[in-house]
Amino acid sequence: MSEAYWGLEQNLKTTPLYKIHNNNRAKLVPFAGYYLPIQYENGIIAEHNHTRNSVSIFDVSHMGQIKISGPMIYDAMEKILPISFSKIAPGQIKYTQFLNSEGKIIDDLMITRAFEEDHVWLVVNADCADKDLDHLYSNLNKTYKIELIEDRALIALQGPNSSNILKTFFQKIDEMPFMTADWFNYDNENFFISRCGYTGEDGFEISIKDRYSEKFISKLLQSEGVKLAGLGARNSLRMEAGLCLYGNDISSSVSPIEAGLTWSISKERIENGGFIGYEHIKKDLKNGVERKLVGIKPLGKLPAREGTQIFDKNEKTIGEITSGGYSPSLQAPIAMGYINSDILKSDCEVLLNVRGNLIPAEITSLPFVEHKYFRGNK
Amino acid sequence: MAEIYFTKDHEWIKVEDNIGVVGITVYASEQLGDIVFVELPEEGITAEIGKDIAVVESVKAASEIYSPVSGTVIKSNEDLNSTPEIVNEDPVGKGWFYEIKISNNDELSGLMSEEEYKKHIGD
Repeated sequence: MSEAYWGLEQNLKTTPLYKIHNNNRAKLVPFAGYYLPIQYENGIIAEHNHTRNSVSIFDVSHMGQIKISGPMIYDAMEKILPISFSKIAPGQIKYTQFLNSEGKIIDDLMITRAFEEDHVWLVVNADCADKDLDHLYSNLNKTYKIELIEDRALIALQGPNSSNILKTFFQKIDEMPFMTADWFNYDNENFFISRCGYTGEDGFEISIKDRYSEKFISKLLQSEGVKLAGLGARNSLRMEAGLCLYGNDISSSVSPIEAGLTWSISKERIENGGFIGYEHIKKDLKNGVERKLVGIKPLGKLPAREGTQIFDKNEKTIGEITSGGYSPSLQAPIAMGYINSDILKSDCEVLLNVRGNLIPAEITSLPFVEHKYFRGNK
Repeated sequence: MAEIYFTKDHEWIKVEDNIGVVGITVYASEQLGDIVFVELPEEGITAEIGKDIAVVESVKAASEIYSPVSGTVIKSNEDLNSTPEIVNEDPVGKGWFYEIKISNNDELSGLMSEEEYKKHIGD
């Protein structure tokens, strides 16, 4: 059998939750320079289903947490990001992307407008943190302080039962709407909690001091129904939710328009510009793009993974899969990938070339599984 | 009485009278995690020792299976088409992959015994 998951690399970092992973029989794999759990003893499908039906904890401490502070911070950030702070309330989170001068994606990230007017809080991809910092240093002048937060773990609590669990620790946290964040206190520790996630379910991301993280997770695990879930379930959950993975579905050769992320760009900024990559974004929106990210359902049971070529019925290549695997919720293979835009206008048959087998597939819209975010009690 | 042999790549083969039954080991099935699809060889095809003959798709990834011996595939385990998870449940029993008519019995001497395999995986 070919070795898919045997190799262990040297010089890997561990997260503050390494001990918890080991105590819970995690299968640890190298990921973005860290040892992280791909799964625990119940396996990916069980962890996936548990997240959809109840609540799971994910260690996402490898992700980069960055605080940027300085005068007129919103003006400075608007030169880098295609968002409008005038449309973002204090405590609100936005999904956005760092773009290069070609309008392609350097990284995708979450940015929170703090209640204090002097700083913003970012969560970026682990593998991209270094180039993100370079990008920030080259585009913000020295009056801005850019801090990579290295003493805080990041834990995602995801699933329909997550707010019931968290409200036993933090008063009224269940009333906080999707894409907002705030500071909370428990056991004399400060928690920065965001209502967001990467699974399509209701959930939270909890930023907490390293020194307290193990104790807090242990408390969460004592709550009814809370279980650990690994990177494997995180990936199948985000694919079902149709959410892009940097390095797979988006990269520095993809524009946000191709990736179907136009919704994340402020309308006002599209009109007025003034951010890096603007000319290309405007052009893509005006002229259209040559390829688009779509959902793909292979017919039958064979999963089609990233790199799989997409053919038309004459076996001409018309696209490529960028993420693919098995959907535990649909009990069927699912995939995401790019297809030539002109093909999408017609109702065409597509075939997937999986190791020489031509598998018929259906093009669908994303997500595969409906999002269940908490939009507030209005 | 069938004899069982192992490869360093975590396949097993049970041999009786020139006929072998091939599958993956408990260790391999645990490493792969939840198995969702097995691409089996067609009956009648020729297998070559050490060459890929089947593919196991787990939720995590696709892994190739290498034939422990050369020969002709005489049967595939069709139960795996509808219930691939039996590879996780019973990898060295009901979760077998294919039956092979062995063309050269000498190849078996290059495989590991159960004891040697256990050492190989550090058990």
